[in-house]
Amino acid sequence: MGRSRVGPSRWEEPVAFGVAALALVVLVLPPFAAIAIELVETGLARALAPLASPGTWALFVRSAGLAVAVTLLATLIGVSLAFLLRRTDLVGRPAALLVHLFPLALPPFLLALGWFHAFGRRGALGSERGSAILFSDAGAAAVLALAFAPAITALTALALDGIDASIEEAALVVAGPWRVVFEILLPVAAPSIGFGALVVFSLAFSELGVPIFLRVSTYPAAVFARLGSMAYSPGEAFALALPLLGLGLALVAIERLVLGRRPPAVLGLQRARPAFALGRWRTPTSVLAWAFVLAATTPLVALFFRAVQARGWTTWIGASVGTSLLTASAAATLITALGIVLGHGLARRRYGSRALDALGVLAFVAPATAFGVGIIATWNHAATEAVYRSAAILVVATAGRYAVLGLRPVALAVHQSPPQLEEAAAVFGAGFFTRLARIVIPVHARAIAGTWLLAFVFCLRDLDLGVLFYPPGRETLPIRIFTLEANGPEPVVAALALVQVGITAAAVALGLALLRRRRSG
Amino acid sequence: MLRPCLRRIAALALGVLAACGSRQEEVVAYTSVDQVFSEPVFRAFERETGTPVRAVFDTEETKSTGVLNRLLAEATHPQADLFWSGDPVRPFLLIRRGLIEPYASPSARDIPAAFRAEDGAWTGFAARARVLLVNTERVPSEKMPGSLRDLADPQWRGQTAIANPLYGTTSIHVAALFSAWGDDAARAFLDSLRSNDVKIASSNGEVKRLVVSGEIAFGLTDTDDAHEATLTGAPVAVVYPDQQGDGTLVMPTVAVLIRGGPNAAAARKLADFLLSPEVEREMAETAAHMPLRAAVAVPPNVSRVGDVRSMPVDYARLAEITERIQPWLREWVGLE
Repeated sequence: MGRSRVGPSRWEEPVAFGVAALALVVLVLPPFAAIAIELVETGLARALAPLASPGTWALFVRSAGLAVAVTLLATLIGVSLAFLLRRTDLVGRPAALLVHLFPLALPPFLLALGWFHAFGRRGALGSERGSAILFSDAGAAAVLALAFAPAITALTALALDGIDASIEEAALVVAGPWRVVFEILLPVAAPSIGFGALVVFSLAFSELGVPIFLRVSTYPAAVFARLGSMAYSPGEAFALALPLLGLGLALVAIERLVLGRRPPAVLGLQRARPAFALGRWRTPTSVLAWAFVLAATTPLVALFFRAVQARGWTTWIGASVGTSLLTASAAATLITALGIVLGHGLARRRYGSRALDALGVLAFVAPATAFGVGIIATWNHAATEAVYRSAAILVVATAGRYAVLGLRPVALAVHQSPPQLEEAAAVFGAGFFTRLARIVIPVHARAIAGTWLLAFVFCLRDLDLGVLFYPPGRETLPIRIFTLEANGPEPVVAALALVQVGITAAAVALGLALLRRRRSG
Repeated sequence: MLRPCLRRIAALALGVLAACGSRQEEVVAYTSVDQVFSEPVFRAFERETGTPVRAVFDTEETKSTGVLNRLLAEATHPQADLFWSGDPVRPFLLIRRGLIEPYASPSARDIPAAFRAEDGAWTGFAARARVLLVNTERVPSEKMPGSLRDLADPQWRGQTAIANPLYGTTSIHVAALFSAWGDDAARAFLDSLRSNDVKIASSNGEVKRLVVSGEIAFGLTDTDDAHEATLTGAPVAVVYPDQQGDGTLVMPTVAVLIRGGPNAAAARKLADFLLSPEVEREMAETAAHMPLRAAVAVPPNVSRVGDVRSMPVDYARLAEITERIQPWLREWVGLE
């Protein structure tokens, strides 16, 4: 085992890995290099001056506290619901999962707006006290946790789906279901849960719109103040972004230390497995889970009641839906393609793969505004004008920013399958591409499709990055919602937000239906 | 079966992406005037001239870096032909950096000289004013505020709001106070707002939302936001502050051409169109913008610039002050 036939096929893997690595580096590194040059041009002493202020670090600690609270709450919600909705006999599981995932379709600010319509002083469920709670640190943490929890649910559900049924069956022979859940399923899914927590922490720490709306001061607002105000200073903004990048790298290191040495679980063939029976708890648990899932959609309901008053909203939608679908599909496909090659390399511990993973994490945790300024500096040249002036810039930018969402889930999936399958094929002369096409992709089809959907949803809802450089006249739907939000009729804004939810839900439902068909076919 | 299908989809996607980037006769306009008001104006230009306008719109002040900073970031390789600024101060940041191509539009001849540069570096039209938007259910008529200083009145403690002074027209308004009152008095006023627990909203639109929903009693915002509030049927009143004192801050929107923009001729055509009396009239009707020309008719709910006691300001100086006071303002809002 471990030997491959001498011939052209032995070069396929390093070449494919090298090309994918180069693509990721080109997508991510130049924007960082561009803003680092800005930092130097600004003058290091001047650019780094804000980091000497105790106020800056107080803000950093406060933001970190908020992000930790959001992550803990979202993890609790996401892991609980993933288990209940994927592995038990809870009533109406598939529908509940779909409803639970809805909020992930919207930029969090719109959800905050929906919560305001519901719980503001004059909201449908509003009161003085409700408004005070909403406009507080606790309110911001709750709004963000509910907005991001579906990401953990999705990643945990993918991991639970990938666990070999025979492991569970063997464990159930000697232990009760709850021990199997806590001692087998959750530990095996831990890397995915850990990655989900990393994603949520990064999203919560870099979130700008919700804290500003709820009047909670956070660190990203200090970064943004160097870019969005009259004193445009990208060098200072990048200097302030450095602690965020350092924190991102520290999180990756901690994650690797805590979870990286776990023995990989063995992935079995996909086959049906019995759901954990909730027994006499089925009805109350179902009621509670559904109540929670429906309560979390309160902002969507509030938006719906605004949207029904909308007149002539279709005239405001323009070509944004087409642009959104096209660019998000292209970016998700690119992210998944890179994820398959680089994720496979990461799972098989190929040289340089951990550095590429860290680069992907950096792009994800960097403040969108700083990364976006780097994108402009990188691509706004005569030689690259065809990209910069077209919708391709949205594909390039989102593929770089969200690349880690392809790389990590694929790596986690591949990590769960034994390398012997591929090694055996290699012994019989199968090259890298053949092994990918005949073994890796078919075995991990569900995980790869899930990865594409996750990347698609994130690219489809991207706002903070794309709004900085979207090609004139070719905005995506979230950008259009936000530019119209300035004095546009609220019912129209609400209607467009629901269109955003609708197209995301349709795409996810279509993807899930195709997957189901494939499994049964 | 699947592969040819995928190939066709990929070819179609590439074709669409390439078409998106192709060049044709067009004009690229960046604007910080709200899309809901500016887009219909661009569509009217397209109908009249047949030249398509590819536009970049701004979001509410704090949700993006704003088109101004996009213009600065793209300065080495300009993509925009024209900037229609929602205020008269930001264009001076571009003028100071040599990014503006002066153009004295023939359409602007009847615009008062105070609202345009002689060399055509900038030309103002369709103005907004800074007003107090009052929730009349929370504020009885006998207590109606009449001055900015009422924001600091202890009887309204915790019941008023302004937008974040780092961004948008609020940053200009604060600079105007520094210009008119001097640094010490302006700082003392802002500190008094802080001690009176004035809420710092994310934008003027957010101030409007807080007033309309009754979350606060009154707040400082722009006339177009106030106009939108009145259209919702909410119990609100609009007050032009300090009509007996310093006057109300009036801010024309401004058109400037970008030096080195890819479509210079089409940009001049668009500038001529924007600066016409017809656009001032349309902006008065749809967005409650105040015409600078005395001859342009206004709807009953819109004031003319000449009808309001205006705060005397030098927009170029406000641009300098706005940049200068940024560090202090960041500290004031708690971001340093």
